Amino acid sequence: MPLGDGEKIRLVGVGKRFATRGQEIEALRPIDLAVQAREFVALVGPSGCGKSTILNLIAGLLPPSSGEVFYDGAPVAAVNRRVGYMTQKDTLLPWRSAADNIRVALELKCRAVPKRQAAERVAQMIELVGLTGFERHYPAELSGGMRKRVALARTLIYEPETLLMDEPFGALDAQLKLLLLDQLQVLTRARQMTVVFVTHDLGEAITLADRVVVFSARPGRIRAVREIELPRPRDVFTVRFGVEFARLHEALWDELKDEVVKGTDV
Amino acid sequence: MRTDADGTNESGHAILAWQIGVGVAWLAAWEIAGDVTGSTWISRPSLIGARLLTWARGDLYIQVATTVTEVVVGLLIGTVCGILAGLWFGRSPLLAGVMRPIIVAFYSVPLIALTPLFIMFFGLDMLPKIVLVTIVVFFLLFFNTFAGAQEVDADLIAALDLMGGTTRERFQKVIAPACVAWIIGGIKVALPYALVAATTGEILAARRGLGFLLSDAASQFDMTGLYAALVVLMLLGLAVAGAASGLERRLLRWRHATG
Repeated sequence: MPLGDGEKIRLVGVGKRFATRGQEIEALRPIDLAVQAREFVALVGPSGCGKSTILNLIAGLLPPSSGEVFYDGAPVAAVNRRVGYMTQKDTLLPWRSAADNIRVALELKCRAVPKRQAAERVAQMIELVGLTGFERHYPAELSGGMRKRVALARTLIYEPETLLMDEPFGALDAQLKLLLLDQLQVLTRARQMTVVFVTHDLGEAITLADRVVVFSARPGRIRAVREIELPRPRDVFTVRFGVEFARLHEALWDELKDEVVKGTDV
Repeated sequence: MRTDADGTNESGHAILAWQIGVGVAWLAAWEIAGDVTGSTWISRPSLIGARLLTWARGDLYIQVATTVTEVVVGLLIGTVCGILAGLWFGRSPLLAGVMRPIIVAFYSVPLIALTPLFIMFFGLDMLPKIVLVTIVVFFLLFFNTFAGAQEVDADLIAALDLMGGTTRERFQKVIAPACVAWIIGGIKVALPYALVAATTGEILAARRGLGFLLSDAASQFDMTGLYAALVVLMLLGLAVAGAASGLERRLLRWRHATG
């Protein structure tokens, strides 16, 4: 149910092949996909189905092997600075403390946030992701889940108009995950962000998304697309116990399960 | 962790006690040997100590200041240029490809062998030594920084690019800090080399400096003076090494952080 003022992202016949050791692997079979402005789209599928590749293509970190990626109607030719990208591997700067990592985007000339204001926003973010007391820790001193939260805070703090997220909550415990899902929903809606969210957790996808796209096992293709018409705002803590949620979950799981089996075979 | 720290501390004391004991024994043996054989060739610690005192009251500070100035000035220039060139070349594949054979060829010449050349060019004072130190330091820093700049995690760079970082910010916030460990490594190696280069230059031709003190003593078969000059050089070397590890501890705190 996109509130949309038009289309944000469009993939037209976009496919990706990688050459490794003289062997060519088709990561993504040509697909078409459009994301409306302010829409929250979840991409679900077995590992290796090219979900992360799609994010890399939208971010302009990889060129497509075929087709073209459009952002705001213009082809993505270089690194796409309009998107915030939280990659699966946390790319924290190891020589900066947690707080300094979160602040880095605010230090850049294109934003030039005054020091004092930046410090306030960093403090807010640290509280938001539950890292109070760890501000001065270096990434090497933090657990995997904590590093994820630092990466999340670092991406959210500069409020990019589009958010690309690659399994951002994979390494977190269930309680914390729900808290962060809630925060993410509040933030992205308040800031009217467009979100493309990659996950292998169907429940997570249904909880957050306006639309869930199910991918097949490698080579990735779109197997099913489903609008999630649960009313907003959703209570992330209880939405999963509703009848409609269960129905959606079952329907999508039907699509996904064969692919998961295929995916694990490979 | 705490008990470990205490344990190392205790064994640290024991080691220190042993070190002092061995040092004293060695000096005593030297003194006796010098006394028995006559002090012409091996001198004696007491004579060396006396000489150092005499020098300290005289113009030793000028000699030390000369060598230290050569080392410090050469280090500063060489380090800054080496880092900048290393970062620049390391991030530009074309430039790196073009320049690599030239630099390797240059580096293959034992740099100390350039000393006579520089003395011809720049005379007998500090300048040829400063040039020598600068070149030695430059290459060490250049090669280390160059390697570091090529090793920077591309994902970190991409992350900053996506946030809207400029090329300059990419250098400031990712590439340069990522190279700090390599740069420190380079400086640690370069410090003793800088001292070697300055002293060698002075030994070959100089009017002042610790190398001059050394060659002057040698030319007069003044073994006590020779050993005394070596002691001063050793102390200077220790100070330099201490400075290097202090710098490393300060700048690489994040590396010692463990989860």
